[in-house]
Amino acid sequence: MPGDSTQINNKAVKQNTYDAIVVGSGISGGWAAKELCEKGLKTLVLERGRNVEHIKDYTDTTKDPWELTHHGEHTQQDRVNSPTQSKCYAWNEVSKKYFVNDLENPYNQVKPFDWVRGNHVGGRSLTWGRQCYRWSDVDFGANAKDGHGVDWPIRYKDIAPWYDYVEPFVGISGSIENLPQLPDGKFLPPMEMNCIEKQVAERIKKNFADGRRIIIGRSANHTAKVGDRGPCQYRNKCHEGCPFGGYFSSNSATLPAAARTGNMTLRPFSVVEEVLYDKDKKRAIGVRILDTETMKTQEYYARIIFLNASTLGTTHILLNSVSDAFPHGLGNSSEQVGHNLMDHHYGVGASGESDDFSDQYVFGRRANGIYVPRFRNINETTKQKEYVRGFGYQGGGGRGRISIEDGLGGEYKDSLTEPGKWTFGIGSWGEHLPYYENKVTLNKDKKDKWGLPTLDIDCEFKDNEKAMRNDMKNSAVEMLEKAGLKNITSYDSAPAPGFCIHEMGTARMGRNPKTSVLNGNNQLHEVKNVFITDGSCMASSACQNPSITYMALTARACDYAVTELKKRNL
Amino acid sequence: MERRELLKMIAALTGGVFIGGELLTSCKSGSSIGGLVFSEADTAFLDEVAETILPATKTPGAKAAKVGQFMVVMVNDTYEDKDQKIFHAGIGKLDEASKKANGKSFLDSTPEQRTALLTALDKEAKDYQKAKKPEDPSHYFTMMKQLTLFGFFTSKEGATQALRYIAVPGKYDGAYPYKKGDKAWAT
Repeated sequence: MPGDSTQINNKAVKQNTYDAIVVGSGISGGWAAKELCEKGLKTLVLERGRNVEHIKDYTDTTKDPWELTHHGEHTQQDRVNSPTQSKCYAWNEVSKKYFVNDLENPYNQVKPFDWVRGNHVGGRSLTWGRQCYRWSDVDFGANAKDGHGVDWPIRYKDIAPWYDYVEPFVGISGSIENLPQLPDGKFLPPMEMNCIEKQVAERIKKNFADGRRIIIGRSANHTAKVGDRGPCQYRNKCHEGCPFGGYFSSNSATLPAAARTGNMTLRPFSVVEEVLYDKDKKRAIGVRILDTETMKTQEYYARIIFLNASTLGTTHILLNSVSDAFPHGLGNSSEQVGHNLMDHHYGVGASGESDDFSDQYVFGRRANGIYVPRFRNINETTKQKEYVRGFGYQGGGGRGRISIEDGLGGEYKDSLTEPGKWTFGIGSWGEHLPYYENKVTLNKDKKDKWGLPTLDIDCEFKDNEKAMRNDMKNSAVEMLEKAGLKNITSYDSAPAPGFCIHEMGTARMGRNPKTSVLNGNNQLHEVKNVFITDGSCMASSACQNPSITYMALTARACDYAVTELKKRNL
Repeated sequence: MERRELLKMIAALTGGVFIGGELLTSCKSGSSIGGLVFSEADTAFLDEVAETILPATKTPGAKAAKVGQFMVVMVNDTYEDKDQKIFHAGIGKLDEASKKANGKSFLDSTPEQRTALLTALDKEAKDYQKAKKPEDPSHYFTMMKQLTLFGFFTSKEGATQALRYIAVPGKYDGAYPYKKGDKAWAT
């Protein structure tokens, strides 16, 4: 390490020294890059995968289905190469290039865990679901209230200005609803509910005294131009990358903003092996990377380091950054790093049919649905006996096609070309409690192709989630019944943890360095110049889609970091 | 209709899962995936089967949409080896069934004879699919029908003429006027 040796080539060190290093270019890394660059820091952004340039690299997304060899479908080779990734709803013949090859990116499932990943510039911000919901103090106060996990070191008032700050740049369409458990944000005009959704929404409002609502989804699809991006063209091909810049991604928004400052150096093909720690200076001095094109290692140095490598990616780096000072991994004297892994539990809900609106249809493919904000355990009157925390629903209505079971021939063919009845369905997203025993650890016996240890993932849903799932299913049926729908069917596909692609919690924030990894500014308690603002920082999971909270936390932490740098506290 | 919904609908129409749409249960690293050789005659035969299932009406049929060729690609690229073999052998079996029922090959049969034969096979296949154990092989005709439906409705002819298709809608209207006979959206 440079601090230990006088033989270091000072010129090389200088060449490899930046003001800041950001590890990862996904949804939070993109924000860290933008904020730090805009604040004048020379910033190195390290990405383990290849570059993906906005629009230019969104190959095949303008092709019609018949122009694709398999009309969009998976091949057996896809399934062999990526058995986990290819199960993802967002995977298709065009978007598959944004998912990793599972064989080349192994991990070990102590219990079933679907780890869906995209290793390239932009990460999963290219393929994300784009739903953006603020958290409230129902969420930030939950751990303190019921004793699961550790208390969040922040409350809504701490993050609200940062939601305000990031939302207009993200470009989120949504409606103002004045719900205490789901604060409103700075929105673009909302998308429109279709006729069946409006009818169901009205009936739910009328038939439930507990304040239950159906609102239009709050989505980072732009209903108006955001700078030079968008608006959304209603193609519903977001996961393939949007040539119109119709939704927010690192590639479309934050990385170009960072690049415009002239302060960003983006380095793809850079796998971070570890953060370098100087025990005399008591600070991190940089990172060592493996260049996966040359297979050579290289060290880079900076005054501050942001880890945004995704929840499990960042955790891997921390656990692999072992030194005399930190034998259990960087900043891990609490031994909480890798623990408290959460996802959301979902894949349970109901759908039904309607005989109404046979004279109406839709025009356009809205890449958004409706949302049912959480209505359980948000106050004394909605308190549940069987479980703590809560869930929300996402869903929507549409007209499928007439399906006639038997036959073939001309009449059969023509009948299949008409739309069928309207259907409406909702599926739920539930909170997963932080359990210490849900964890990831390094497996040094099984190395990946870069020679790095792989992760053992040991995670499950427990009794609280199972009790909640009963309610998730039953309430879905009850709501559809009260909305007057027919032929209601419910389902519970019981996906494994990970499959909701909201993994979080393995380097949690907290007030006490003995029981948490990060402080209220997303700073490692023990290494003040290292910040972590991806999903690993989360002390609880709430039930809202988490990305917008990562973005707000990132902007907030960047502001704090640069302020502290200027005060020479870092 | 989104591709995944279309696949679900086709699975429901044919009494089971979409073959080739399920995950391999025992995929091993490095396992090779073969592909069978289909002759031009096989492709032409499959075109006629597809055309009998979804014939030209006021709009083009499956043959115009080159569904035979699409079936060959899909079988070789998306089917497991054992299903590929069943499909391939199905061409001969279907022709045998034709000879048994009508005393002549499928291609020599009249459109009425073809329709009658495939209607009977459709029923046979559906009953078989419903009764079979999950690990039992699928019926070859179920494969042909599924790929015909999927291939046709996602083809240019099927999507833009039998159905309606707009690549870039540009807006959303959730209460768009509809009258009986208007076509469904392809995507």
